[in-house]
Amino acid sequence: MLTYLARRLAFAVATVLAASVASFLLVHASGGSPGAITAGAGATPAQVAAANRQLGWDQPLVTQYLTWLGHAARGNLGSSLIDGHAIWPDLISRLPVTASIAVFATVLSGLLGVLIGVAAAIRGSWLDRVVTAGSGVALSLPQFWIGILLVYLVAIKGHLLPATGYVTFSASPGQYLQSLALPVITLAITGTAIIARTTRTGMITALRQEHVRTLHALGTPPWRIRYVHALRSAGGPVASVLGIQFIALFGGSVVIEQLFALPGLGQAASNAIGNTDFPAVQGVVVIATVVVVITNLVLDLVLAALDPKVRTA
Amino acid sequence: MTVPTSSGTAASVPALSVSGLTVRYGRAGKVPPAVDGVSFDVAPGETLGLVGESGSGKSTIGKAILGLQRPAAGRVLLHGADITRASLRQRRVAAIDLRVVFQDPYSSLNPAQTIGQTLQEPLRVLRVPKDKRWRRVADGLAAVGLPADAAGRYPAQFSGGQRQRIAIARALVCEPQVIVLDEPVSSLDLSTQAQVLNLLADLRGRHQLALLFIAHDLSVVRFLAQRVVVLYRGQVMEAGLVEDVTQRPGHPYTIALTAAAPVPQPAAQARRRAAREALGIAAAGAAPPPAAGCPFAARCPLATDVCRAERPPLVTGDDGADGTGSAVACHHSGQARGLRLPAGTA
Amino acid sequence: MTAPSLTPPLNLAGGPPAAGRGRPRLRAGGALSAAWLVILLLASLTAPLWEPYPVDDQDSLHTLAGPSGSHWLGTDELGRDVLTRIAAGGWISVGPGLLAVVVAFGIGIPLALTAAEHGRWVERGSSRFAELLLALPSMIILLAFVGAVGVHMWAIMTVLGVLLSAPVYRIFLGQAQSVRTLLYVDAARVNGVSSLRVNLRHVLPAMATTIAVQAAQLFAIGVLIEAGLAFMGFGPKVPTPSWGGLIADASQNVYTDPWLMVPTGLVLALTVIAANVLADSVQTGTGRAGPGQAGLGQAGRAGRAPSAAAVTASAPPDPDPLLDVRDLTVAVAGGPGLVTGVSFSMRRGTVLGLVGESGCGKTMTARALPGLLPEGVQVAGGSVWFAGRDLAGLPEKELRAIRGRDIAMISQEPMVALDPVFSIGYQLTQPIRRFRGVGQHGVDGHRVGRAEARRIAAGLLAQVGITNPRRVLRSYPHQLSGGMAQRVCIALALTGSPRLLIADEPTTALDVTVQAEILSLLRSLVRDTGLSVLIVSHDLGVIADLCDDVAVMYAGQVVESGTVAAVLGQPSHPYTAALLGANPHVSEGLPVPGRLPSIPGTVPAPADWPAGCRFAGRCALATAACADPVPATRAHGGGRVRCIHPLSPWPEPNQADGLPVPRPVEPGVTS
Repeated sequence: MLTYLARRLAFAVATVLAASVASFLLVHASGGSPGAITAGAGATPAQVAAANRQLGWDQPLVTQYLTWLGHAARGNLGSSLIDGHAIWPDLISRLPVTASIAVFATVLSGLLGVLIGVAAAIRGSWLDRVVTAGSGVALSLPQFWIGILLVYLVAIKGHLLPATGYVTFSASPGQYLQSLALPVITLAITGTAIIARTTRTGMITALRQEHVRTLHALGTPPWRIRYVHALRSAGGPVASVLGIQFIALFGGSVVIEQLFALPGLGQAASNAIGNTDFPAVQGVVVIATVVVVITNLVLDLVLAALDPKVRTA
Repeated sequence: MTVPTSSGTAASVPALSVSGLTVRYGRAGKVPPAVDGVSFDVAPGETLGLVGESGSGKSTIGKAILGLQRPAAGRVLLHGADITRASLRQRRVAAIDLRVVFQDPYSSLNPAQTIGQTLQEPLRVLRVPKDKRWRRVADGLAAVGLPADAAGRYPAQFSGGQRQRIAIARALVCEPQVIVLDEPVSSLDLSTQAQVLNLLADLRGRHQLALLFIAHDLSVVRFLAQRVVVLYRGQVMEAGLVEDVTQRPGHPYTIALTAAAPVPQPAAQARRRAAREALGIAAAGAAPPPAAGCPFAARCPLATDVCRAERPPLVTGDDGADGTGSAVACHHSGQARGLRLPAGTA
Repeated sequence: MTAPSLTPPLNLAGGPPAAGRGRPRLRAGGALSAAWLVILLLASLTAPLWEPYPVDDQDSLHTLAGPSGSHWLGTDELGRDVLTRIAAGGWISVGPGLLAVVVAFGIGIPLALTAAEHGRWVERGSSRFAELLLALPSMIILLAFVGAVGVHMWAIMTVLGVLLSAPVYRIFLGQAQSVRTLLYVDAARVNGVSSLRVNLRHVLPAMATTIAVQAAQLFAIGVLIEAGLAFMGFGPKVPTPSWGGLIADASQNVYTDPWLMVPTGLVLALTVIAANVLADSVQTGTGRAGPGQAGLGQAGRAGRAPSAAAVTASAPPDPDPLLDVRDLTVAVAGGPGLVTGVSFSMRRGTVLGLVGESGCGKTMTARALPGLLPEGVQVAGGSVWFAGRDLAGLPEKELRAIRGRDIAMISQEPMVALDPVFSIGYQLTQPIRRFRGVGQHGVDGHRVGRAEARRIAAGLLAQVGITNPRRVLRSYPHQLSGGMAQRVCIALALTGSPRLLIADEPTTALDVTVQAEILSLLRSLVRDTGLSVLIVSHDLGVIADLCDDVAVMYAGQVVESGTVAAVLGQPSHPYTAALLGANPHVSEGLPVPGRLPSIPGTVPAPADWPAGCRFAGRCALATAACADPVPATRAHGGGRVRCIHPLSPWPEPNQADGLPVPRPVEPGVTS
């Protein structure tokens, strides 16, 4: 078990490094240069070149990367080319926003999805058909479209929740929750559909296993068969998908953050790219990858703990 | 790797020869090899039975001979040509006439192909011209007792016994001289098994086939084979003429194996059971096998320290009073004879 | 150790590939979906030819109008016709999604096939690479790519395809490995079929349904991601409409003209749905067998079909037989019978064997007794008298009370009969506490605590011959050998101290030496505890070893029953004799036959059962009279036989082997 953990950890670090290399190369392949931005729109080529030299842009790629790596390892991701703000603190402050959405949406989809999925698997008949069809539709609609509709119906027409904006938890817990409500619900609609499907399939598969027949032959009460044994069997795939959900929400929150004007990592990413703010792009890729990698690690541990073959090895 | 030549004196060159074959799954030292120094020959036209229980390595030997599993040591000779390390591609190029029939009739035929397509695939590899191909397919189906129109149907439309016949036909269409059969009748019902065994006996006689017949049932092997090799945990325990090995076994494991198989006569079976229990052979899961020495030592009632330390060599017994000519790997083969079930219980 | 099986978020890949019958077929929904997609693409590509208005034609007089005769789907904020814009934007919105799928499959599938074929090192390398790709935050990487090279939809979707090739690889690697364990792949390889051909003709076709499903899901992902990018302003340049861009425009005007949201969103949704339905209609996948398996046994009981002549209307028979089955009929709901008119009985403390070949109905008969028939199969007639009650008519709830406590069952594959995620100790102590707790069998009426239950469990394990019970209690099923697992299953069956143990081919999957041990165990349990055993087997030797009585089944009927000595020693029914003859075991002193006597033909399917003797078609002694229904009559050995010319006993039974020689009897003469 310990060697397994060590291997996963090593791999996680390698992944983050790989992502940073990839974005570094992309940034350098873009054809622009930081000097062009800091020197301003009307700068002469000489001024641009001078600015680039000052920023170290003329150094060999490997040196630039290693320099960046050295700084990053100490928590310094440089400063924005646009307004000079330090990137690391900025991203760290944005992290809770994206994380809040991702966590709440995942938890909500998990709870609802499992409940609905189990009910569909066990009750079958009309409920199952409704769930399958409903989840199919929910997964076919673009999330931002659902979000806009919700904003229109709930915020504009219904005046129930704020349409946009974010309030930190420390400022006001109640408003914090309100500001997150619509984005989380939007994301949870898709998430619930996925989890419900996975749970349903997992339960049906689990209930068809041979060992369930043994339990029946022993006269085991049905609730125990369903909720202790079958659900446990289905737990693996469900945990997997929950993990993927979280990662997808983290990496894919860009659109939602734009829609709901939430100052999270996604917004930082689209700003940085829109402004060709190279250090910021590099920084946001790395931070996002670190989060994903940590989630994967936790997920791996959870799955390993659930699997007796790994535990006893 | 040399191309196999057709030998002039067929009698002298074995159709298939295995010597010192060793196959490992995983790294050396971590787990004992699945096959450990096994040797035997199959003469042209002869049927050799490879018998053992799960973990005996019998299927692995088959796979190694067919090229599906790389041996760690040892040699495999086909008509005298060394094919031990020949990859599947090299075998194809040399058109090796070694064919196979597998155990499970339900997964040995591609469900998405018709029988005809399945049967002519090996012929296409041999570059048999198209018209001759269909001729051979029809002949193959006829040889196994299936109608020619079966070629247009899918495997799902046939029963288990019929599918095994198709698998045999697939081996036959190439007109091989050696066929490896990996438990071909183990998945079949008793009456179907009898039909397929009869078929194999007929075909073997008609085409002078050398068959390597892998099985776990000694009585089936006794019906079809002339000689038999008994395996336990990857090593040969006993080898010899099938009558000698099954009726006058010389190794404690062979004795245990023959004693364990139940017979459908209640009174006789009751006597056998009593005699078997008197043997004192320990249960399979009771103790792990020793790291060195005889693999059966942990269960054998005759085991002594030498058995746990030294691996016994395979020695041909003398033709004593009870006429055993088979080779036995046992330090106490003389005593082992005394373990045999008394007459009247076999 | 592999990372969790990561799948694209929309569905689970099904389990091992389904071995379909021939080619996959398209169903009605699939045809409709295919039609929608084709029409959409054609309309989009030919838009300039038929559009009612030019794409950019602005009509400032009719901005943000709803649907009308002149503008079927209304107009946008610049007065442009929505229908035209949707149609014109179709190709650019959908095509790149297809590209992503093609790229993802083009990279992922060949990599997966190669990794599956070449084993360890190649697989490790590719899998690591795939995990790396999977860990990258895809949206952000895509945006970074946009930042680097600008907005080129096709290039962006190619990058997405590369990112998606990772989950594709993961899924198809698993499938390909699973397919490669099938024997027909090995057979092709042995026959020298080239590696490429093996992959194309054998491995890929087996994965066809998964390919279809995954293609649809990836297509959906691609289309939705592209729409998202377009929505954010990273879509195709301004004059070209794209669906995502249209939604962006609609969102800006949602206060004044909410209708605009509808057609733009729906066309996306319908396209994605169409792709999914198309893929679903091709697969044979995770369909349901009816209400969840929690209802297992309920369907088996759901209403007894009105039976033909029920012999059982009378009062319960003599209580001495522990089990008395009369005229049992088991049938597929609304279909042919699988077991008809089966009768047998068992006394306490004896072992009865049900023997026959596959398709004879012995397993269905055994499972019908405690009401554990599979979905769609039910008891259609007859009665099962057990300890004074007719089990055939009992509701599920009462049957559940009997299962485990009075009647227990073990089956063929002990390794999968145990739950792999719970320890042996847990699986044993749970039923122990349930059975021996308050108000149940527990003598004192006290609740059985965990420690005490463990003690009882250890005792049961010792009773079934396990030498180290404590260690086994801590183990998991995958750590046990086949023989040990079966012993554990027997211990599990004994937790409720049942009176009857039904053993469904308990030793078929075990080695012959292990089989001998298990049979000895069962015999000692019968002798020491008075347990009665009903064993189902196809092996006559097992029956001879363990059983006191036997019932031979053929094509859903009991054709002969009686004591083992009588039935196996001097069989009355030609089928029994033929079965004994087909057994390759030859007794000492007798020569090995050149041919095994075998029965010509095959067992008829239930739908083809004749009204008369079902063995007549294969019987050497059949006459015209065999076409009439054959009643069960007394056999010469004291049992019963279903034959109008049963075999007569030969004058000197040969004690050495008792191998019967069928000798025809005068037709019409019964003994």
